Amino acid sequence: MTRFSNACGAFAVAALVACAGAHAATHDRLFTYGFDPAADAPADANEAARFLTQATFGPTATDLARLTALGYDAWLEEQLGMAPTLGAPVVEQVVNARIAASQSVSQSQRIQRWYWQAAYAPDQLRQRMAWALSQIFVISDQSSSINNYIVPMAGYYDMLAKDAFAPYRTLLGDVTWHPMMGRYLSSFRNQKPGATTSPDENYAREVMQLFSIGLVLRDMDFTPILSNGVEIPTYDQTTITHTAKVFTGFTWSDAPLDPPNFFGGGLTFAAQYAPMQCFGTEHFPASGSGSNNMRHDVTGDDGTTGTPKTVVGGMTIPPNQTCAQDVADELDILAAHPNVPPFVSRQLIQRFVTSNPSPQYIERVAQVFDAPGADLGDVIKAILMDDEARHPAALAGGDSYGKLREPILRLTAVWRAFNAQAQPPDAYGEVKMSAGNSQTGAFGQGPLESPTVFNFYEPDYQQPGSFADNDRYSPELQILSEASAYSTANAYYNFSAKAYQGMSNPPTDRPLLDLSTLTANATSPAAMVATIDRSLLYGTMSANMRATLTGMLSNLNGASAAEKAWSAIYVTMLSPEFATQR
Amino acid sequence: MSHSRNARRDFLRTLALAACSGGTAALFPQLRMMGSALANTRSLTGYKALVCVYLSGGNDSWNLLVPFDTARHDVYADARGGVYNAQSNADGLALGIPTGADVALQKIVDGNDASSATNQYFVHPKIADLATLYRANKLAFAVNVGTLVRPIVKADYATPANRPPQLYSHSDQENLWHQGNSIANRVLGWGGRCGDVVRSSNANQDLSACISISGANRFEVGLSTVPYRMSSSGLSSLSGVCNPTPCNGVSATSVRDNALNALLADTYASDFAGEYSKVFARSRDLYNLLKTGLDGTTLVQQFPANNSLASQLQMVAKMIKLSKAQGYAARQIYYVRLGGFDLHSGLMSGGNNDHAALLKLVSDAVAAFWQALAPGDVDAQDEVTLFTASEFARTLQSNGSGSDHAWGGVQFVLGGAVNGGRLYTSGGGPISGFPDQHLDAPNSFSRGQMIPGIGVDQYAATLAQWLGVTSPTDLGAIFPNLANFGSSNLGFV
Repeated sequence: MTRFSNACGAFAVAALVACAGAHAATHDRLFTYGFDPAADAPADANEAARFLTQATFGPTATDLARLTALGYDAWLEEQLGMAPTLGAPVVEQVVNARIAASQSVSQSQRIQRWYWQAAYAPDQLRQRMAWALSQIFVISDQSSSINNYIVPMAGYYDMLAKDAFAPYRTLLGDVTWHPMMGRYLSSFRNQKPGATTSPDENYAREVMQLFSIGLVLRDMDFTPILSNGVEIPTYDQTTITHTAKVFTGFTWSDAPLDPPNFFGGGLTFAAQYAPMQCFGTEHFPASGSGSNNMRHDVTGDDGTTGTPKTVVGGMTIPPNQTCAQDVADELDILAAHPNVPPFVSRQLIQRFVTSNPSPQYIERVAQVFDAPGADLGDVIKAILMDDEARHPAALAGGDSYGKLREPILRLTAVWRAFNAQAQPPDAYGEVKMSAGNSQTGAFGQGPLESPTVFNFYEPDYQQPGSFADNDRYSPELQILSEASAYSTANAYYNFSAKAYQGMSNPPTDRPLLDLSTLTANATSPAAMVATIDRSLLYGTMSANMRATLTGMLSNLNGASAAEKAWSAIYVTMLSPEFATQR
Repeated sequence: MSHSRNARRDFLRTLALAACSGGTAALFPQLRMMGSALANTRSLTGYKALVCVYLSGGNDSWNLLVPFDTARHDVYADARGGVYNAQSNADGLALGIPTGADVALQKIVDGNDASSATNQYFVHPKIADLATLYRANKLAFAVNVGTLVRPIVKADYATPANRPPQLYSHSDQENLWHQGNSIANRVLGWGGRCGDVVRSSNANQDLSACISISGANRFEVGLSTVPYRMSSSGLSSLSGVCNPTPCNGVSATSVRDNALNALLADTYASDFAGEYSKVFARSRDLYNLLKTGLDGTTLVQQFPANNSLASQLQMVAKMIKLSKAQGYAARQIYYVRLGGFDLHSGLMSGGNNDHAALLKLVSDAVAAFWQALAPGDVDAQDEVTLFTASEFARTLQSNGSGSDHAWGGVQFVLGGAVNGGRLYTSGGGPISGFPDQHLDAPNSFSRGQMIPGIGVDQYAATLAQWLGVTSPTDLGAIFPNLANFGSSNLGFV
């Protein structure tokens, strides 16, 4: 197997150079068959690269070889079985080292590590899934409630990576009990009803609107169910008021119990990312029995003692339960709601494959989601292996299949395609991956950096013009503006023209591209463009774009090989075709 | 390459005129309604700009404007008085009646109401600058504005058709504020549709009538109007290519520049690629148009630092100054945005992100903007109307340390054309006046969620009419529910 992988890896590099001609596809297939690939192997290198564009942070020569050798199913199973690459332990080490040396610490410590994982972690599918989940189960360092919690936020992301292929109910529970979510959506230290107060409704609302069931009842194919032509809300304000009582009493895992101090704890990083505990008394000083009586919401001073809570779908949660029972009941009810499979499946399809899945595609995935014992690993397999993902209709005018590639994914794809070399760790153990904190502003997105709980873009965003006119969705277009087109492009310039191996005075704060697959053919514009096509566009480059880039490289005849190479990469990074994943 | 893009624009302009007589709509569905929108335009003279200040997250605006008289303040304080602590309670979420020197800073009187029992209010201590503008009759408050299908009373609420869809949801209520109607899942905003009507009066058709300093927003999307989205830091150059494009002579830079422009000018079967190239090409065109002028446009007025809203409004002031100097436009609509108002917790925390801190950002930014508009600087105080919007106000009742999503709230309008120094509290419906702030009052629900007395449609239509959208046909098309309300113009501007 080792020998085989090496040989295949070498092939992939050679293929980038060699397969420029019109017979490339045939050539690949013959070559691949020569290695007796798995029965369900991608038909050719382009199909493999297209799949890896959907499933990872970008194809590498190594992953192409691995996928070809294993076939889709075994590759997916291998990825599903990989242990998560974690961020928090590394971030914690760096933060502690910096603090010990009296250096400032900021969220950039967490973000540098995130980019490293995206570029280099072997569990690519898991990392892509965590990235997708972080855009649904949103927390953000843009909120002052968690902005100073650098390591615990990395811990939240690790939780998403650990649960990436777990049952949905497991994920929903871990999200709900995580103190970073608690603080972000203010269930943390949420108090039971008082004489002059009601519980905070924030988490009760968003866990339903955004993390589980959405606003209106839906069929398995995501179509809204209508009553007399009108959509049917999944809940109303009364439901929210009742559900808010469920999510009360949470505090740090290490808040003292004897005597109880609801406002204590949170003394270590570990305590700040361990699941919250729930105080029965929930007040300090403790009222009622003065101990942890585990009746977190039923002893309100507002006369609501001992009444059941009527939650979504008219289900009730009985009075006088422990906090853990209440929360478990509520999450069980939500996870069992028929909206969950289509609601979550559709958003995951949008993150991986297409902004506009057909209702049938959503339903096929939702059925897998809904099967007894199913987990999110089954769901992502169903998403990626669906015929609509693997064999879309041929490109035609007015096409809205696929998606605008996220700005971050365009960058990671280039890093991985051109084998970007990471910087050595600095004195504090940190590997620098970016030119600075302004990157999130430039891209309009960053890891756990959404402006609000509604993510960088919304699943229902419709760009004015053809998308809106045809009732099609285009989430990622929401963060493309005349301003961000330039700021994103300028960031790409710094990651290509200003960051390659062999340049004079290379930067020390970002990975350096390996341009050799391009510079090796610096006198052949056609060969260079063919390499770009295979490496970044899985062989889909249009004739017009090919002609434009070839002409550009021909006209750069006075430039160095390196400048030709980075010019080809940079202009491609800005191109409409590379901006689109299909 | 730039030439081909200009040619394409010319083509679109020609097409827009042709569309008045129909025929091309099938080819270009995005233009399908253009004919009717343009048919109602007429030549608008002079210069006017609307500036929307969107306070994102749901501003707790019942702490923006508070009754000063003891009787009503007691009711307010009771409703808001729950367990915020800061050394044991500190009156919960309620603001105390100002005393001493603060009275002169915070107190205002409603010029519409002769009764001293009901016409005295005070503003939040952090927006005293806005109270000054109010006393100068440049600023007005619109009270208890919210999303409505039609005016209702509490008994009407139970019937879903009587109320807007998805009340209390951030995203949905923000959309309805942007739309100016309560029809779910629409894409168009009332600012953009006003842009459709007024844009033909603008001399420069390359610069959109709608300009956002805060990214994509539904408010500024019209049938034929797409907002131009700038950064508050102005126009940056594009690395590795020509700025402006194209550049003279042959160099590696110009070679890359030509290649990029060729890719952007191409047509694409994928709508994703097509939209991407359109936005990017627009970015290059507008850079060419604006860069030199904008760099040469300076303001006398200093804007506060570390205030994102101030930076955005500073760019608005520059763009107004430049647009007037160059004669680009007769009518413009700007959009700026400040987030962080979803204060379920920490409303009164005293930190850098609590409600007082946010309101100080608003007040400082708006006051600086107003000064920048003064004669000797932008010189457009009488030509600009700034207004606030926010998806909802918040529960009067506390959840302990903050407040939750509610409904009707207070907005303010500022400008030389504003009939200021007054409160506008009635939309002609059954609920009017400054609302009773008892919890579960006849006009509110158990946590002090106010049923609005003024519809967003009325508030927006009043502003639209000032801008020049006056024909009943246009108003009816943009605000289809307006006919349900007693008044289509609240008279504040």
